[in-house]
Amino acid sequence: MMRLAAVIDATVTIPGLKELAMYRSSASIPFAGRYRLIDFALSNIVNSNISSVGVFASQQSVSLMDHVGKGKSWDLDRRRNGLFFLPTSQREGDQFSVGSFAALEDHLSFFRKSAQPYVMVTSAFTISQINYNDMLEKHIASGADITEAVHNGNCMKSYILSKDLLLRMIKGFREERVVSVEDIVNLKKKPYTFAQYEYGGYFVLINSMESYFNESMALLDAENWRKLFLPERPIYTKVKDEPPTKYLKGSKVKRSLVANGSLLDGEISDSILSRAVEIGKNSKLEKCIIMQKCVIEEGCSLLYVVADKDVHIKAGTIIRGTKEKPVVIRKGSVVSEGDGV
Amino acid sequence: MKKQMVAMLLAGGQGTRLKELTNAVAKPAIPFGGKYRIIDFPLSNCTNSEIRTVGVLTQYEPHLLHQYIGLGTPWDLDRRNGGVTMLPPYAEADGIKWYDGTANAIFQNLKFLEAHDPEYVLILSGDHIYKMNYLLMLDFHKNQQADATISVIEVPWEEASRFGLMETDGDMQVKRFVEKPENPKSNLASMGVYIFNYQKLKEYLKADADKEDSSHDFGKDIIPAMLENGEKMVAYPYKGYWKDVGTVESLWEANMDLLNLESGLVIHDPAWRIFSSNPQLPPQVVTENCEIEESFINEGCIIEGKVRKSVISQNVHIKEGAEVDECVVMAGAVIGAGAKVSRAIITPDLHIPDNYVLKKKDRDITLLTNYTINNPEGREDDAASSGN
Repeated sequence: MMRLAAVIDATVTIPGLKELAMYRSSASIPFAGRYRLIDFALSNIVNSNISSVGVFASQQSVSLMDHVGKGKSWDLDRRRNGLFFLPTSQREGDQFSVGSFAALEDHLSFFRKSAQPYVMVTSAFTISQINYNDMLEKHIASGADITEAVHNGNCMKSYILSKDLLLRMIKGFREERVVSVEDIVNLKKKPYTFAQYEYGGYFVLINSMESYFNESMALLDAENWRKLFLPERPIYTKVKDEPPTKYLKGSKVKRSLVANGSLLDGEISDSILSRAVEIGKNSKLEKCIIMQKCVIEEGCSLLYVVADKDVHIKAGTIIRGTKEKPVVIRKGSVVSEGDGV
Repeated sequence: MKKQMVAMLLAGGQGTRLKELTNAVAKPAIPFGGKYRIIDFPLSNCTNSEIRTVGVLTQYEPHLLHQYIGLGTPWDLDRRNGGVTMLPPYAEADGIKWYDGTANAIFQNLKFLEAHDPEYVLILSGDHIYKMNYLLMLDFHKNQQADATISVIEVPWEEASRFGLMETDGDMQVKRFVEKPENPKSNLASMGVYIFNYQKLKEYLKADADKEDSSHDFGKDIIPAMLENGEKMVAYPYKGYWKDVGTVESLWEANMDLLNLESGLVIHDPAWRIFSSNPQLPPQVVTENCEIEESFINEGCIIEGKVRKSVISQNVHIKEGAEVDECVVMAGAVIGAGAKVSRAIITPDLHIPDNYVLKKKDRDITLLTNYTINNPEGREDDAASSGN
């Protein structure tokens, strides 16, 4: 039997990504064209054969709940174990560190009911291809109380500890003056003992607009997408019935990641296009992230632009951001030339 | 439980004119449009027409079809009451009976129909690409107070002799049905889509089963017998895209129709989605030196070469310097660096070697398989020609 249960702490807010988390939880921010941030943690869990997963969500969790559902897309809609969506009393913006005891405390029954003696606690914005089984073995061999996953010395915000220890921590966190598993690890809190698990594959931590944009763009390098999109460890996401993407006559698309369901015209380079996007004739997109169902009409020119879901950019609009400060257009906005974007 | 209408989808055909494509899979399971299989179209039409009980009759190479359809989840047909039921031939006390003709296949599953006790039965086949609201046809059937309604489409007169044709009067009453006549008197082709009043159909299926000289076929036996007895048969004029994809050429053409804005085959339509199983694949990667024009590309592809007027299925890798022109590339194929292919269907998982050039004597459509690549001179029947 699998000895590990998983907790995804989706109550954590990423302060720098407020612009994209205005209408959704940080965990459901779109990434890499067809995914949401939480897909990567969930897929690692499934690819590590973990069958019991608690997704701890903050109050603002409609979009996350819609995305995750009962876990069908991850094969986690099981009779035994499976995915548990656990809304907590945490408000968006309360939590900045992973494994919040106040959130976990809201659903002690998840831990009591699960038969697995160990728990892996991770954030929803760790993007990697980590194997938690391997990490568990190293954890047990080390004899430490808590094992932290690291990549080239950088904290991956993923931890393994025994369930009993986690429950003791949840019980005493107020007296101990700690807020989360991450907090305990960062403080090297006594009397606990700590170990590190070194992971060498693809890893990025999305913790600011800058890292969001740069890591998205970095994915266009073959050495990066080849490391993230491993055929033997697929990234699962909510299934949509989009047709293949149609490249229209005269379109020029280069060096991009493109999801299904789009109708592409114009000139597109160094960009990431989500599902069901429409790009009009003679439009030019360079270094852009265009999310689901955006419509960019004819003759637009966009450079360093992040267009959130359902953005509509009217014909002839010119928007110029910079590498350091890409222009972020909020979900559902209608933008035309002269709007001063 | 009493149902208004149950659909019976005939998916047992081999489709020999599709050659190597149907060596290991039934025709309805043949890939189409970069993502779909032919059977996705009638199944999605059922879903979109709110028909919630569908029997799928299989016989030839059923494994992939059974596995693909499974519980019917992608089409929302995983239902407690009704849903999709796979109906392969089965053994009875007096032995195994293979399906012998389209009508016989339905006849052998009368028990399934009895259990659902429908008012109407919709007969479909898994050979056609089209988007159709069967409920509109049912309304027509009811308004006409018909015993049977046959969906028809106007075909060009010069092609009419390739189809089963309905001769009708002004009220769309069918007067005569002729299979592939030399001198057509009508250009209304049967689409292989029928609605029958169930009780009437049952009567005719039972009578037909007892006839020793019958070929047990809807077109050849059941419909002529009903006409002869003066049952009310009407033709339902369907307007829209419809294509029989029974040959290599027509399968290629239907794929190309996806790229042609005037063809009428629109798949980017959220109001009438074609559902399909969705393998979890990464977004398609298009690289610095690629050139893509007028093409349909699915997820999981890596495009480094030149693609023009082509339909590319999932997990295809087109390497640097390769040129793919007017091709249908099926899932998992690899087009080697510098290879050049045009006007071809490339079979699933085929690896085309680097610098391979498909030499063509004419503009016919080539079905590229391992055999054709290793035997460039080819057998006589290798280059698929039209209409055979």
